[in-house]
Amino acid sequence: MAIVRVEELGRTFRVADKQPGLVGTLRHFLHRRERLITAVDQLSFSIEPGEMVGFLGPNGAGKTTTLKMLSGLIHPTRGRVSVAGHQPYRREPDFLGAITLVMGQKQQLIWDLPPLDSLAVNAAVYGIPDGEARRRIDELAEMLELGPELRRPVRKLSLGQRMKAELLAALLHQPSVLFLDEPTLGLDVNAQAAVRSFLADYNRRTGATVLLTSHYMGDITALCPRVLLIHGGTLFHDGSLEGLSQRLAPWREVSLALAEPLPAERFAIYGEIERCQGCEVVLLVERARLTAVVGQLLAELPVLDLEVREPPLEQTIGRLFQTPAAVAP
Amino acid sequence: MNHQRSPAPEPTTRPLQRIPMRRSPLRIARTLLVSQYALMVEFRAEIVLWALSGVMPLLMYAVWSGAPAGAAAGVNPQQFARYFLAALVARQFTVVWVIYAFEEDNLLGRLSPLLLQPLPLAWRYWAAHLAEQATRLPLVAAMVLLFVAAVPAAAPPLDPMRLLLALLALHLGFCLNFLMQYAITMLCFWNERVSALERLQAIPQLFLSGLLAPLELFPEPLRAVALHTPFPAIIYLPAQLAAGGPIAIGPAFLNLFGWLALLLPLNLLLWRAGVRRYAALGA
Amino acid sequence: MMDRRRGLGRYGLSLLRFWSVSLAAQMEYQLNLIIEVVASIATLAGGLFTLSLFYAHGQRLGGWSWEEALVVLGLSTFLDGFSSTLLRPNLGELVKQVQNGSLDFVLLKPIDSQFWVSLRNWSPWGMPEMALGFGLVLVGLVRSGARPGPGGVLAALLLWACGVAILYSLWFILAATSIWFVKVWNATEVLRSLVGVGRYPISAYPPALRLLFTAVVPIAFLTNVPAEALLGRTTPFWCAASAGLALVALICSRLLWRMALRHYTSASS
Repeated sequence: MAIVRVEELGRTFRVADKQPGLVGTLRHFLHRRERLITAVDQLSFSIEPGEMVGFLGPNGAGKTTTLKMLSGLIHPTRGRVSVAGHQPYRREPDFLGAITLVMGQKQQLIWDLPPLDSLAVNAAVYGIPDGEARRRIDELAEMLELGPELRRPVRKLSLGQRMKAELLAALLHQPSVLFLDEPTLGLDVNAQAAVRSFLADYNRRTGATVLLTSHYMGDITALCPRVLLIHGGTLFHDGSLEGLSQRLAPWREVSLALAEPLPAERFAIYGEIERCQGCEVVLLVERARLTAVVGQLLAELPVLDLEVREPPLEQTIGRLFQTPAAVAP
Repeated sequence: MNHQRSPAPEPTTRPLQRIPMRRSPLRIARTLLVSQYALMVEFRAEIVLWALSGVMPLLMYAVWSGAPAGAAAGVNPQQFARYFLAALVARQFTVVWVIYAFEEDNLLGRLSPLLLQPLPLAWRYWAAHLAEQATRLPLVAAMVLLFVAAVPAAAPPLDPMRLLLALLALHLGFCLNFLMQYAITMLCFWNERVSALERLQAIPQLFLSGLLAPLELFPEPLRAVALHTPFPAIIYLPAQLAAGGPIAIGPAFLNLFGWLALLLPLNLLLWRAGVRRYAALGA
Repeated sequence: MMDRRRGLGRYGLSLLRFWSVSLAAQMEYQLNLIIEVVASIATLAGGLFTLSLFYAHGQRLGGWSWEEALVVLGLSTFLDGFSSTLLRPNLGELVKQVQNGSLDFVLLKPIDSQFWVSLRNWSPWGMPEMALGFGLVLVGLVRSGARPGPGGVLAALLLWACGVAILYSLWFILAATSIWFVKVWNATEVLRSLVGVGRYPISAYPPALRLLFTAVVPIAFLTNVPAEALLGRTTPFWCAASAGLALVALICSRLLWRMALRHYTSASS
């Protein structure tokens, strides 16, 4: 049975429109103009218990809005959502005790006090007995490699330590569904790796379901066998990262080093010309034709060296996002 | 602030051109005021609420007009009406909130970029206050008209000389209040939580400025003491000038200028020392 | 999976944690205690001074003697202290939380969100003012020669509690509107200045305002009605009206909060 089920989910926002400058200000003062913006539209997917799913999309694609609807912070405008057997927007205590939401750019820890104080508040609010809370804090602190940091005021912690402490606070009640919105935002490489390995470890130990957004492709490749890619508020891809790269990049980069410079027109029959500078040429060749084309190239042109590469996924996704959302199937 | 670049980024790279800065004070002032006005209009709902919170003088008028103590002290109802209407206007245009704005900017880390700009911070806040006063203007006008319609006796006497003086006193009173609070604000460079200190200035101001009762009703030794503090210049002086009530104009202005002369260099000193300290701590 | 203790016990324990943690946070700034004590005394002195101006020539104000008016001023001082202790720290925080989006974390907790946003913080700095106000009420009572019987005291305490509930509801309703109009730092300032009305006997105001402060903005119920009860002058009508109003105000605050949450879209989505 799916633990997260989303059917034809949609959310529209009203935003105010204002022109800059004095005239715009006055006009806005007298008459507020509003626009409707569709953040999420016709989104459907489901997640099985224990899955780790990456949630991809450019800024403004609707990732955060979706996570907020899944965690019950925002009411959907259309469609149905069910998480852990509950309708999130009702915010029933049982539901709230079963999920958690971690937001990389917001924090729940009390700024002036050590994390332990915030944890004490959370333990009381979630009704966790003190002994049990202490046991869980020890266990999570060990996994997160947090020690004396828990006794220092939050404002004195580094960003990486703070994020780990945020994770601890978010997981104290042992939620079975984790929504993570940019949990590695702004962290350095070491801290990112630490958070990643913790999440993988946590998922393995507890069997919790994880839905994760991140700007760092590294987080997704390291953690998520399955990715959901949304673009313009609708689902573009649901499946493995591998499948996504095949679908987005059904071509390979072939770079050639030639013995003598040739005019660019000569290459048009082999594939799309990415770059052509003197003796250095880079072509994009469809995967299906790759073998044949490489053979032809070697036979027909004065090739000194030839290399076939897969273009980096970030780049291909970036290319997709520059095109309008209408290309989605 | 002053964008000297062409609107669209050039497609080809070229070395950064040094365009000589054109720092005309007039231009800075205009840009500051217009942008701050736009900002304040965004906050209009709360400015309306805040202006409404300044109706204290009207409530005090309501109590005083019915209190036998007023008549016993020789102040007639018309004088009360005129005084408290003028005090209402004075209150609306001398309110200062720079310490809260500064505290928020400091807390949200907006201070460093502002300190980098070649314009002392005080001007930006000062412009923000003027812009906020402009946003209030129509609202205060409506309040005055409503009050005069309800209590016709409250209409101020038409003495252009005194009204002009009142306007001058009003703005100087605002400047005085601004400088007092800004001096405390500068202490933020040493300790983040100084807004509590502001309370110690606001309480005597509330009771001694003339907001709750015209100073001639104060018992004698206290009245003389109050007149030497900076507070009456903020409400009592402009209000009594506009209301045409009895006031020793010369000594009151002397007191006002005296405090201004004291606070200006103090602010300059604190600002310089504060910025030095901020730089030393590495923000 | 869940081992939550349910019911009131969890709320009680949470409240205890809330307050001990916010006390710990406040203790980082000891200087505030001195400033607040000085400020409370100065405010009370100023209030007494202003009130004394009305009695400079020995008259009565709105039919109240000086000693009776002290009871009203004392109750108003107490409410000011109560606002600094609970209302301002929490409901001021609510406006901030809406602005920076951290209200999300409150809504994700399996605890009543109105409970959390109303009681999460506690500031000891309003306590001196509450104590001073209480003291002033006693002084006014003793010097006015009023001797309320046990029934009178009970009625006065009930009306006092009703006044606190009404003030809380008004404040909460204003703060909750920040969910629609994100920037309302000043909404509560209006309320503070209105509560200032309650420093004087309502009968000192002209009849139109008296009606306004009784029927429209129920300031009279905050200080005047309990003061009358303490002075042994209340009637069952005022008791019933005050209790009814407090109930309606609390229910309104609840309904409005629910409506606000439905509209909540959380900042910087």
